[in-house]
Amino acid sequence: MLLEISEISKQFGGLKALSNVTASVDTDEVLGLIGPNGAGKSTLFNVVTGVYPPEHGQVRFQNKPIHGLTSHRIVQLGIARTFQNLRLFANMTVLENVMVGRHCRTKSMLTDALLHTRRFTREEKEIGDHAREILDFVGLLSSGNELVKNLSYGNQRRLEIARALATEPALLLLDEPSAGMNPKECNELLELIDKVRSRHIAVIIIEHRMQVVMTISDRIVVLDYGEKIAEGKPAEVQSNPKVIEAYLGTG
Amino acid sequence: MFIQQLINGLTLGSIYALFALGYTMVYGILLMINFAHSEIFMVGAYFGFWVLALLPVLFPGSLPIVIVFIIVFLVAMVATGVLAAVVERTAYRPLRHAQRLAPLISAIGVSIFLQNLIMLAVGAESKSYPDIFKNEPYVFAGISVTPLQLFIFALAVSLMIVLQVFITRTKMGTAMRAVAQNHIVSQLMGIDTNMIITLTFLIGGGLGGVAGVLNGMYYGSIKYNMGFMPGIKAFTAAVLGGIGNIKGAMVGGFVLGVLEAMAAGYISSDYKDVIAFVVLSLVLLVRPTGIFGEAVTEKI
Amino acid sequence: MIQRKSLIFLAVLAVVLIVAPIIFNATGNYYVVHVAGLVGIYCILCVGLNITIGYTGLLDLGFMAFYAIGAYTGALLSIAGLSFWIVLPISVIVGGLFRFLVGAPVLRLRGDYLAIVTLAFGEICRLVINNFDALTNGPKGLPRVGESIGKVSFFSFTLQEDIHFYYLILAFVAISVLISYRLEHSRMGRALVAIREDELAAELTGINVARIKAIAFVISGMFGALAGDLYVHWIGFITPEQFTFWESVLLVSMIVLGGMGNIVGVLLGTVLLVGVPELLRATLGTRFVDYRMLLFGAVMIVVIIFRPQGLLPSKRRALELHPLEKG
Repeated sequence: MLLEISEISKQFGGLKALSNVTASVDTDEVLGLIGPNGAGKSTLFNVVTGVYPPEHGQVRFQNKPIHGLTSHRIVQLGIARTFQNLRLFANMTVLENVMVGRHCRTKSMLTDALLHTRRFTREEKEIGDHAREILDFVGLLSSGNELVKNLSYGNQRRLEIARALATEPALLLLDEPSAGMNPKECNELLELIDKVRSRHIAVIIIEHRMQVVMTISDRIVVLDYGEKIAEGKPAEVQSNPKVIEAYLGTG
Repeated sequence: MFIQQLINGLTLGSIYALFALGYTMVYGILLMINFAHSEIFMVGAYFGFWVLALLPVLFPGSLPIVIVFIIVFLVAMVATGVLAAVVERTAYRPLRHAQRLAPLISAIGVSIFLQNLIMLAVGAESKSYPDIFKNEPYVFAGISVTPLQLFIFALAVSLMIVLQVFITRTKMGTAMRAVAQNHIVSQLMGIDTNMIITLTFLIGGGLGGVAGVLNGMYYGSIKYNMGFMPGIKAFTAAVLGGIGNIKGAMVGGFVLGVLEAMAAGYISSDYKDVIAFVVLSLVLLVRPTGIFGEAVTEKI
Repeated sequence: MIQRKSLIFLAVLAVVLIVAPIIFNATGNYYVVHVAGLVGIYCILCVGLNITIGYTGLLDLGFMAFYAIGAYTGALLSIAGLSFWIVLPISVIVGGLFRFLVGAPVLRLRGDYLAIVTLAFGEICRLVINNFDALTNGPKGLPRVGESIGKVSFFSFTLQEDIHFYYLILAFVAISVLISYRLEHSRMGRALVAIREDELAAELTGINVARIKAIAFVISGMFGALAGDLYVHWIGFITPEQFTFWESVLLVSMIVLGGMGNIVGVLLGTVLLVGVPELLRATLGTRFVDYRMLLFGAVMIVVIIFRPQGLLPSKRRALELHPLEKG
């Protein structure tokens, strides 16, 4: 198992955001994470990526515990994410955003930069090349020098994925990547996730769009009010009465 | 010694509390630090000074002290309230939606501008406040209290009670609390947020002006740059009590006043200014929400 | 990278900066050379502060404290007899050390609060220096009567006149600008801007935000100490009066006016806000000095409302702020 989440609980004041959630993802898997608004899906991402520690439970990545580590360390270990509300570096170019993603995989220090050592020039070239390769992978190479502000919303979402991919993750967490996309962009997103999977990167995807998550996921976990209420293959989950009730309510 | 310093501290604290209310009310409603509030305080002190100089000219022969006081404080309050509102309208309102540090930078600019405006208008030397009445201290058991100290405390507490009643019992006051919670929803409820914000500056500024006059009376002299140190201290008081919280500013003001008096009495007079800065740093570093404040969490 | 046009401009600028003072000196305009030296000192200060405010996005209202630390360290060591060339690196390191101590608690704070705490620390520093007579001679400043700051010698040449120090300062300005430029166009520079743009996103993109902020903070402080040490060796004395809160504010406004994050803009802001008033003071007399601060306050308000990106914005900043101007 690549990622194991065991009995995670997280509380905010009186609000139980997550209660005893257990789930796992294997390499080469796409796991869908669904549930009504406020079910705790983004909170789970935040716990896994170290934004806040859980009150109870464990998170293990590649068989090592990662709960309690700082976020940047977790990224270094191989988990990257995108955000529900898009958090790009608005005043850098598209290329620069992705280059920042390479930060944790490179080593040149301040002294190298100040003295323009060979390591510095070599690494700068590598960073640029890597970043361009990733932009090409997601289909944004032609926009390299644009400011982020000038990108279409769908392209901004793709850029966030590119930036996450630049950190060379083994696991990619996508938080509602299709929000605000039109059907054409959605299809392109599905293709992109497939491409990501083919690079042996596991994916957990939070989604509200059923056609996206049902198509792309190998398995699905359903949360409601912070608890896991169902798990299984897409078809099973879709016909699960508890899931239907959670979304539509009773009576 | 302890009681004496306590009395001094409560007097000082009264001034800080009134002064701090201006900082806390503006922060509560706009989430900005009104750096120029210290100059509002200073201008209040000068207005008090000018009225006191002008009254004997306009009304030769002595006026009852009560009338003098009423006129002095009313003029200072109105003048500084209006000034604060004007500053808001010209220097802060255009920046409501600008980058987060712009209002603070603008406020610093206003502070510099007002200080130097007064300096150029009336000169850089300090002016002495005239004695309005004979301020003979009451002495018993080695402790002395002057009538002025009692007056300052009484006036401050009265104004704070009036403010508290206004905030909790009147429609305007409730509107102010609503806008401080959420601008958009308040507007949807039919509240004119701009008017409420102006009102906040009027009241906060007016109280700051009163604090300025009291400061002038208590220390006996005023100067164009008198606002900076007391301003930092009042701001510290507001933060200590919980920035944005009106009760907090009142409590924080008294606490800081007493702390400073104790430090001056027991440690050293030279380093007493440092106390405020040390308290400020500690509060912001250890418990930025202060005594009464609540933490605000960001949804990620 | 750097285009041909810019290189030509730089070459011309270099020639002017090297030759002009000689001409001013020869024609008896010694005051201009003195002002140029002063501008140079402020340039070094602003290069340092720009790293904190412009690149990392942290509003620092107490930067002059590090200028003071550099100056006082330099003064004390120089009075004790050490050579300028030994004192300089020590002052810079001491400045960096204090910056590190201050940064450790402070850098966890956000926006407004960080600004206020830097103000508080700056004032604490000034008050302590003002009162710790045994070490700093309090308000009377250093050197004490009967002592003096050591001379600066370059091989066998002893620097005496303003114009000598001008070239020394110019050299350090050039080095500072080069360091800043190389920092900006590097992996760390990108990390700093990312932190300025969105600290959380930067952390979640693998940047050790706390560490990078600390490094930037310390480096900026070292520039402050450098400027202080140079100043005290040039002018020969230092008093606590010279680094009040308002001086720190002046530095911030040079950066805001010139264009935050843009090194050329920042230097321009420095020249305008230090050089012009000083030169005007010589021609228009003391009356002008009184109005200078008034004008200065007004300019700050006007600039931040109508042209917040400054005179020469970094291209990023301009595009960041324009949409907001319409609102």
